[in-house]
Amino acid sequence: METIWQGLAKAYELLKAGDPELYQIVWLTLRVSGTATLLSILAGVPLGVWLALSRFRGRGLIVGLVNTTMGLPPVVVGLWVAIFLWRSGPLSFLGIMYTPSAMVVAQCVIAGPLVTGFTMAGISQLNPKLRLQLLALGASRWQLFWLLVREARLSILAAIMAGFGGAISEVGASMMVGGNILGQTRVLTTATVMEVSKGRFDVGIALSLILLLLSYGITYGLTLLQQRGHQA
Amino acid sequence: MTALLEVLGLRYQPGGHRILDVPAFAVAEGEVLAIIGPNGAGKSSLMQAVGLLQPAEFGEYRWEGRSVKLPAESLALRRQMAMVMQDSLLLSETVYHNVALGLSLRGIAGAGLKTQVLDMLDRLGIAHLARRPARRLSGGEAQRVSLARALVLKPRLLFLDEPFAALDVLARSQMLRDLRGLLTADRITALFVTHDFSEIPVVADRVAVMFGGEIRQVGTPFAVFNRPADPAVRELVQVAHDLVRTLQPESANR
Amino acid sequence: MPRWVVLLFALLTVVGAGCGGSPAIANPAVILATTTSTQDSGLLDVLIPIFEQKTGYRIKTIAVGTGQALAMGEKGEADVLLVHAPSSEKPLVEKGFATGRRLVMHNDYIIVGPAADAAKIRGAKATAEAFKQIAGAAAIFVSRGDDSGTHKKEKEIWTAARVLPAGSWYQQTGQGMGQTLTIASEKAGYTLSDRATYLALKKSVKLDILLEGDPSLLNIYHVMEVNAQKFAKVNAAGAKAFADYLLSKEAQQAIAQFGVDKYGQALFVADGGKTEADLMGK
Repeated sequence: METIWQGLAKAYELLKAGDPELYQIVWLTLRVSGTATLLSILAGVPLGVWLALSRFRGRGLIVGLVNTTMGLPPVVVGLWVAIFLWRSGPLSFLGIMYTPSAMVVAQCVIAGPLVTGFTMAGISQLNPKLRLQLLALGASRWQLFWLLVREARLSILAAIMAGFGGAISEVGASMMVGGNILGQTRVLTTATVMEVSKGRFDVGIALSLILLLLSYGITYGLTLLQQRGHQA
Repeated sequence: MTALLEVLGLRYQPGGHRILDVPAFAVAEGEVLAIIGPNGAGKSSLMQAVGLLQPAEFGEYRWEGRSVKLPAESLALRRQMAMVMQDSLLLSETVYHNVALGLSLRGIAGAGLKTQVLDMLDRLGIAHLARRPARRLSGGEAQRVSLARALVLKPRLLFLDEPFAALDVLARSQMLRDLRGLLTADRITALFVTHDFSEIPVVADRVAVMFGGEIRQVGTPFAVFNRPADPAVRELVQVAHDLVRTLQPESANR
Repeated sequence: MPRWVVLLFALLTVVGAGCGGSPAIANPAVILATTTSTQDSGLLDVLIPIFEQKTGYRIKTIAVGTGQALAMGEKGEADVLLVHAPSSEKPLVEKGFATGRRLVMHNDYIIVGPAADAAKIRGAKATAEAFKQIAGAAAIFVSRGDDSGTHKKEKEIWTAARVLPAGSWYQQTGQGMGQTLTIASEKAGYTLSDRATYLALKKSVKLDILLEGDPSLLNIYHVMEVNAQKFAKVNAAGAKAFADYLLSKEAQQAIAQFGVDKYGQALFVADGGKTEADLMGK
């Protein structure tokens, strides 16, 4: 109990003092996870819609793949992304190992399947004849896409929240491809692990509280958006 | 009467199954053509193929006498048609938004949109439901919305796929009368799939009978029912004859 | 324009803002592979900014376990190494993976344990002896168990004591020094720790220093440059610059002073120019 109070006090102290290191870490956390979530939405929602509506041989395999990758252990993702980005790896020419870009890549691999999978499930729940009906009312393919997304907006917002949650909370991959470098690739999760391993539990708890606050705040905002759509 | 739509050499055979095989099919301007047949005969598939909602092979597709290029002109043609299905398939919005949908897809907005939508709601007797969320409508109300949504587009060709099958007998008969009134008033060309023969005399000018993906006979209701072209058609229309016979006074029965 | 497009543009600008900064040097990024305990001591947080300011290089400090740091050197994934496991470093030089191995500094390990000291190792004559006593008493010993420099040192001492530690009294955490000390404190067990981490945590752990000063407890740090002949992508210039800097008068002075204001004693002894033999002879 004592430790928790110390953590709370430390969190307040750090925030109040406007500790620049802390703010830099928070800002980087938001930038990396925000970018990863955004990219996951841009790729994942259309892919999820397409998978839900299409019928082709081998579709079952791809759906199974998406569902499996939703549960990938982040540290495994980190290791494999690192293998590709290392100097000895095939993508080393990108030169992004130990940079925020590498972390975005890893978090995309984690968040992407979540967004895709939940979107796919959400669209699949719509009446299968709805697609025909909307086309029959003169919708172009783009318009159809947007109408279905709007109709499944509750599920798709849940998909986004799942993707964001997966990205901002993961630490294994970020550690491995980012290196937790001060001022360059240190985010809230990796900083928390580091402080705990140093034995500085109060700082660790403080950071984790700030992370929770951040994550909760954003998810709450998305929830409000989702529930507003619920009334129509 | 000029043909609004004429289709030649229509085939739809996904994965080897023969769903449709229709060498010739035409719908005249201003007529209501009913399509009947047993389950699996291909009635809905025919409508979806002709409505360019489902991929199919066409020898030729002629619209208003002109041969059209598909799929290039698909969207433009689709926007001259509309469909009402058995499920209302409304979006989770208000009735107003649902009816306005087709118009906004075509880029119509503002005061013009509003007027058209409210007029149509009025004609279908659901103006009082404009702000009601679609989720909270009864079956009959929902189908009225679906119909309004289609009619407000002033489609050149209207498809109705068993639109009233899910409604109770009284609601159905009321809707049919209203539908006839609207179709006649606006001179709308329509294709009407139904299982219920009693609907035919109310709305249909001609009837097409389908079996196994083929059209076996097309003609006026009288012609089809009294001069069935082949045994399958005869068996189908026998139902109607049996009904008529039970309604005749005792002396007319053998 | 739909709301989401505006949001998208805003986000892209924000993201793009993060990228940027024009370096004066062709290849400013230098990957330094070091150990977690080195980083945790805080020494690098003092040394690196000065170096970056002076030269314009940007050090990417990757703090991992000793095993991983050395492996990164062997694969050419790092440019310069700062580690403290001499017996494992030498093969790297012999096999030609690393060059320019130079002694930078040393600190020492200490044996800490509960004040009650059931195994009675306080004031023992040699570390190996103390370890034998602990094993004999089957007193709880908490090991890093992670192949780190500390863990390697611990294993060397067990070997010297001719004891193979096994049994429920010997517990391997697989974690960092801070964690391991905390666990040892919770379980009232013995452990081998570097002085710096112990001093940093002194207030929160219930452990006393029971043995120190033995030459076998020296923790010696060398800097090595990864061989650019073997790995084309190594930033040889940057690595050399950093290694040279560590041996420079300025850095050596900073090392010698580090920790005095916080703990009252320096955490490291600066050894630039000496060799390992010099230290062991002490």
